[in-house]
Formats: sequence, structure tokens, C-alpha cells
Amino acid sequence: MPAVLRLLARRLGISLIVLAGVSMLIFGIARVIPGDPARIALGPNATGEQVAGLRQALHLDDPVAVQYGHFVADLLRGDLGVSLYTNRPVTLDIAQFLPATLELVLFAGVLMVGIGLPLGMWSASQRGRWPDHLIRVVSLLGVSAPSFVWAVMLMLMFAFFLPVFPIAGRITDSFEITRVTGFLLIDTLLAGNGAAFVDALRHIFLPAFALAVSGIGQAARLTRANMVETYDRPYIEMARAYGFPAGRIAAKYAFKPSLIPSLTIIGLDFAAMLGNAFLVEAVFAWPGLSRYGVAVILRKDLNAIIGTVLIISATFLIVNLIVDLLIAFLNPRIRHSERGAR
Amino acid sequence: MKLLKTTLAIGLSAATALAAPAIAGGTLRLDEVAVGELDPAKASDYADSILMFNVYDTLVLPVQGGPGHAPHLAESWESDGNSFTFTLRDDVNFQSGNPLTADDVVFSLERMKALGAGLSYLFGVVESAEATAPSTVRFNLSSPYAPFVASLVRLPIVDRKLVMENLGEGDGEMGDWGQAFLSANGGGTGAYRVVSHNPQEETVMEKNRDYFLDIAEAAPDTVRLRYGLEASTVRTLIATGEHDISSQWLPPEVMGALAREGAQLFTESGTGAFYLKMNTTKPPLDDVNCRRALSAAFDYQTAIRMIAITEDVSAGSPSTGAIPVGMFGANDGSMVQVQDLDGAREYLAACGHDPAEMDIEISWIAEVPLEERFALLFQSNLAEIGVKSHIRKLPWALFSEQVSKPENTPHISQLFVNAVTGDPDTLLYGMYHSSTPGTWQSPEYLSDARVDEYLDAGRNASATDAREEAYSILNARLMEIAPTIYGYDRQSVFAASDRVRAPALSDPAYAFGLDGMGFSFRLMEVAED
Repeated sequence: MPAVLRLLARRLGISLIVLAGVSMLIFGIARVIPGDPARIALGPNATGEQVAGLRQALHLDDPVAVQYGHFVADLLRGDLGVSLYTNRPVTLDIAQFLPATLELVLFAGVLMVGIGLPLGMWSASQRGRWPDHLIRVVSLLGVSAPSFVWAVMLMLMFAFFLPVFPIAGRITDSFEITRVTGFLLIDTLLAGNGAAFVDALRHIFLPAFALAVSGIGQAARLTRANMVETYDRPYIEMARAYGFPAGRIAAKYAFKPSLIPSLTIIGLDFAAMLGNAFLVEAVFAWPGLSRYGVAVILRKDLNAIIGTVLIISATFLIVNLIVDLLIAFLNPRIRHSERGAR
Repeated sequence: MKLLKTTLAIGLSAATALAAPAIAGGTLRLDEVAVGELDPAKASDYADSILMFNVYDTLVLPVQGGPGHAPHLAESWESDGNSFTFTLRDDVNFQSGNPLTADDVVFSLERMKALGAGLSYLFGVVESAEATAPSTVRFNLSSPYAPFVASLVRLPIVDRKLVMENLGEGDGEMGDWGQAFLSANGGGTGAYRVVSHNPQEETVMEKNRDYFLDIAEAAPDTVRLRYGLEASTVRTLIATGEHDISSQWLPPEVMGALAREGAQLFTESGTGAFYLKMNTTKPPLDDVNCRRALSAAFDYQTAIRMIAITEDVSAGSPSTGAIPVGMFGANDGSMVQVQDLDGAREYLAACGHDPAEMDIEISWIAEVPLEERFALLFQSNLAEIGVKSHIRKLPWALFSEQVSKPENTPHISQLFVNAVTGDPDTLLYGMYHSSTPGTWQSPEYLSDARVDEYLDAGRNASATDAREEAYSILNARLMEIAPTIYGYDRQSVFAASDRVRAPALSDPAYAFGLDGMGFSFRLMEVAED
């Protein structure tokens, strides 16, 4: 079996164990959060009988182990139960809200890589000059302020004082786009509606940028630091001595070895954005899964909490798996160490 | 660089022009914090009420600008105390095209009682309902219940035939009673029909052109009820003309800022109040003089200043007693409560507990940050009369669990309580009757035979005068035994753009006196863009 496939199989096995652990952990934690989910769901005016009836219907009076058994049996049938927050099947909610968050996070990821890495490269190549200093200060600023601060500031600057971007939602109400993938940037293109695509792009830009700012700063700083270290290596000196162009040295000999640690951090940042997205989603009224996750936690909507956490965990694991594979692809020593480990 | 800037500017302008079509005329955009529940049998909070009052109709409606109720889906009604017989209009159709019949009314009641959610407890007194003719329905009550007609504003009539065609899986013959269907679709006779419902985003409604009453041309053609917008987002949206009416939950500072920038402020009042509820079973508040001391020490005037939005509009008005001004039995508007520190010290001296040993626990609900300010105010008021206190932040879920036992209930619980039907019975019975202790509404754990007697009299008397007298005496008794500090009469305030007219939210002569009913879209007017 090729080394990469072995790596993949091993990581998939570990991921399944992690998911099972997460499900047990979140199942337990959700049940010790203060408050009665039935009471919260039915509202303050519900009578004791109404609350008792709903508790019975939700098996909340059974021992936790029995409740977990019900949960696993339903999960294996693809049923995550009904959300007490939206009164709809949790699977339907996730199917509706997950694409919005994934689209936002993926677009933010593109911005993070597309802006952060070039900035880091440029900063390293301009070491000690004013562009380097400027990029380092801006990167530090990006890393040190949380994404919701950027969200509010960007909204004020580019939607309120200079109204060039829309403030809320994913697309202007008047566009009626058939949802195929749930990713509006793709669905608008599939519908052949250029105006709607531009509109969706304008809607996603500010929230995605707010979400990505910290990651951009992180990627730029890390790439710069790694490249600066690489620039001091003898083989770079040799390349310079041979008279290779600076661009070729940067892209081919300095950047590739510096990419591996950056890629690890980018993978972690990408996963962290899934969790951080709720603040940005709240500010820009982005109808995504992160915002849904927070809403259901506040209402102690047990089925929805577990469903959301499982999906976010699964996405986290998938992203990490992809990053691991990329790193293995870039660095043969890791592939070989897997073989050795076997 | 200059070429790049120019290209970017042109590109952005072109994209903006290309991608931002004009908003269709007559669209009303408003928001609510909580997701609106579309199933009318489960409706309980403000967003649910807005949906219910527009997608569904009820047999009666509160009279605008005055007391009592007027026929709506019903043409008339009569009562012998234990039963109420309603004759329905014969010109009403559901949005599906099905005609309204007495069977629909019976079905709506049975469905609400079977689901046992929302405000179904209001109809616990109804033993049975029967269609005595195609357009006549009789409700048989287990005992006289004067607020029954008022309760009917919470019995939306659903389309029986449509629901029966869309029953989902469930136990018994009725399956899920159409819950899955009505949680995503409309099934009423209302002036607005549901176009789409996304719990995470918005509910879109459009004008029902076949409504049985006239709807003004200027009433919004389309309504977008958005959910869960942040205060900063709402502020920006209204300022840029992309939103029309805010929820009532914007911080007063944001409301004030919008008002200064030219936004209108709509109001809805007369159904509830802000209370500091005292646990009458816990020393030292088991002594009436201690409770009176705390009531006299509270700084009512500062509380009113804290909720002022502009010089003219406030989120509340001074309290005159236990019953908000505008309800049966309320004191005259001039009898406002004021802080009396000397009186407080005298009551404290008469209290059977040593003030030096007191440590009053003042709780506030974590989800309502405004309450923290009142907790701090009250703490400083108590310090002025030499009483020690400490403040405790309680999430709602924890609070509602703790109040189920008197020993776990804090000394002071701060709460906003509304009468869900506009009748004082639905405000006071659950708070003070000795048969209903230990709920979120009744952390006082009051047990007073005279209070019970007056509450029962107000509930059972059929004549309006007799009810008013019962509640007046009750009001006086509650002031005497002071189970609660009546902070202020609550007023909901909404910031709105100048393209909206809503007489029910701006002119007392058109106000309904029922939470959410001011948002009857058919009575609003929206300027075209």
C-alpha cells in the first residue's frame, strides 16, 4: 500500500475514534449545563404538566446512559432528532446552515492564503526595509484584535461611512437563486446570473475579510520568519552566488521549505475560523451554522448542540487530514517516517 | 498605481450598479431577537405574536384605544357565565380558499389543548367546544371565568381541512396534529400569507389580497421579519435606509442615537411592568415591615431616568402601584411612587430582624444586561438605609430552576412580566395566588388569603364594574403587604425609519393594549422607495 494511503487510513481511523469521544463528551457536557431544556423550549408561560410531558417525550427522565443509547441508535439511522429552537429536524437545519458557514470560512481561507503568504514572502525579501516594517506592524495588528472587532470596524468603514459593501445577509433579496450546492458563489454561476454572483461576492467579502484578518497576519508573520531563517541557509547563498534571480530564489528555494510550518498553522487557523465565525456571522447577519450553534447552546437545545458540535468536529478533522496529506506531499521525510513507524 | 486605483474604482462602481437592484416598493423590514414560531398553537413570545396576529385571526380583537373586545372572525357572542356562544362571519375564507366554519374553531381549540404548548394553559378552564351549527360555536367552561373573552385573542383559528391534509407522523389518529406543516407554512385567514420561513434568517410574508377586511393600498406588500440581528447591525441598517423597524431590545443608547439621527420611536404600553420581587418566605423579607422598608428605599425616579431614550420617550413610566396604568384596578396616573428614605428607616426600625445582620441577595437575569444597572441602583439604595446586600447574576435557565424551591430563591428577583391577553388576571393570578407559587412569575411565594379572595373575585365576577372594584382592592392590598417593589410600568420602544406609519404604535387612540398586536401590518403604511 502506498505510504500516503496508509497515512490516510491511519488518520481516518483516529478521526472516527475522536468523533466517538467528542459525541460522548458533548452529550455529557450538554446535560450538566444549568437549566431544563423542556422548560426553556416551552417558554416561561408553560405549565408544569407541559414541561413534564416534553421531558418524557425527549427521554430526559431516563438515565444518561439510556439517553445516549437512544441518541446513538437514532444517529445510526441518520436522525439527529428535532431542534427545540427551530422545531425542525436537526439534519435539515445543518443541511441549510452549514453551506453558508463553509462558504464563508473557505472564502476567508482563500483570503488568508492569497494575502497572508505573499505578504510574508514580500516582507522576508524586503527584510529590514520599510515594507518589511510596515507588514510586520500591520500583521501584528491583525493578529492582536479579535475578528468581531474587525467585523464592526469594517462595517462602519465600508458599509456605513463609505457605503460600498452591503451590511447583512448573503445576497440581495430580489435575486432568486436555486440552491444547488448551498454555496451562493457557485449557485449563482450555475444559474448563469453574473449580477447575482457579483452581489454574492460583495456580500461575502466583508465578513470573510473580518474573519481572515487574524489568519492573514498569522500567515504573513510565520512565512516571513521561516523565510528569513531559510534565507540564511548556505544553499541560498550558493544560489545567489550562481546569480539566480531574486524572484526564483524566493519562490523556488526559500518559500517551499518555509511553507510546511505555515501550512500547519493555516490548517489550525482554518479550523479555528469555524468556531470564531459565530461572532462575524452575528454582526453581518450571516445565516450560518456557527451562529446557529451559539443560539442552540443558549437555549440548551440538546439535539442541535450535539449535531452542530459533531459536524464542526468532523469538519475540523477533515481539514486537518487534508493539511496532513499536503504536508506529507510536500515533505517526503514525513511519508518515510510513516513507513518507519509501521 | 493611479491606473490601478482608477480601475478598482470603476470596477467597484460598475459592480455596485450591476448588483444592487432597487428594492421593490412597499416592503417592510423589521427584526426580532428570537426566532418566530409559526405554529400558532405554540406561540408565546413577541416574535411569535407578530406572526400569529398577521397570518391568523381570532374570534375577537381588543378594542383600539379603549377597554374591552370587539368581534372579529365572530359576528357576535352571548354568554350565561358558564358557556359562551359565538356566531361566525359568513364571508371569511382561509388563505387556502377553504371557508371558515365552526368546525375550524373547535379544531383549533382541541389542537391547542392537545399540543399543550405556548399559551394553551389559558384554555384549561374550557371543558368542551362544540359546533352547534355551521357558523355557531359554543365553549363550555368548567367554572365562570370572566377573562375568557380576553383569552380568545390567543386562540388563532387554523384551517382544519388543510391541517388534516398535512398530518405528519405521530402517535394516534391525529399524528403530529400538523405541527411539522404549520411550523413552516401558514394555515390561517390572516391579512398576510407566509412566502418563506427560515428560522436562522427571516420569515417573508406577502399581503393576502383575498382578506375579508379592507387592507389599505399603502399597507406593505411584502414583509421581511428578520431574526437575531446584532444591535450594531440594526443601527447601521436603519441609518443606511435598509431596515424599517427595530426590535424593542436595542440598548437605550442605540435607540437614542437613532432618534437623534431622525428615526421615529414607536411605543406599545399598558400590559406589563418591571418588578423587583421579594421572597416573602426568606428572612428578613418574611417580615412585612422589612419589605415595606425596601419598597420605600428604592429610587423610582432614578430608575425612570435610567431608561429614558429621549426627553420625550422612555422605556417605562412611573409606577403607581401593583397594576400598570391602563388596566382594571390601576391607580390614578398621578399617584406615582417615590423614594422615601425616612419612611424606609421607620419601617426598618419596626422590622423584627436586625438590619446589621441583613445581607440581601439581589439577583439579575444574565440575558438582560439592563437589570444589572437596577441591581447596582438598588444596592446603593439599601446602603443608604444601612442594609448590606450582594448582587448575583443568574442565567435564565438557572433562575427558572432555582425559583422552584423557596429556600433557593434569591431575596430579590428582577423580572419583566406582561399580561399575555391584556387582562390583569393573566398578569396577577400567576404572580400572587397561593395556588401558583414557585414559578418564574411568583418568586414571592406569597400566601395571603385576602389576595386570593380578590384574585378569585376578579376572575369570577361577570360585570366589568365588579371586576374593576376587585382589582382596585387587590391593588391596595398588594401595596399594603408589599411582596414586590413595583419598579415602573413598562413601555416597549421601537426605532423606525420615517417611511413607516403605524398608528397602533404611535397614537394611543389606536393602541390595542396587547403585546405584538400593534404590529398588525394591515394597519401600517409604508412609503414606496
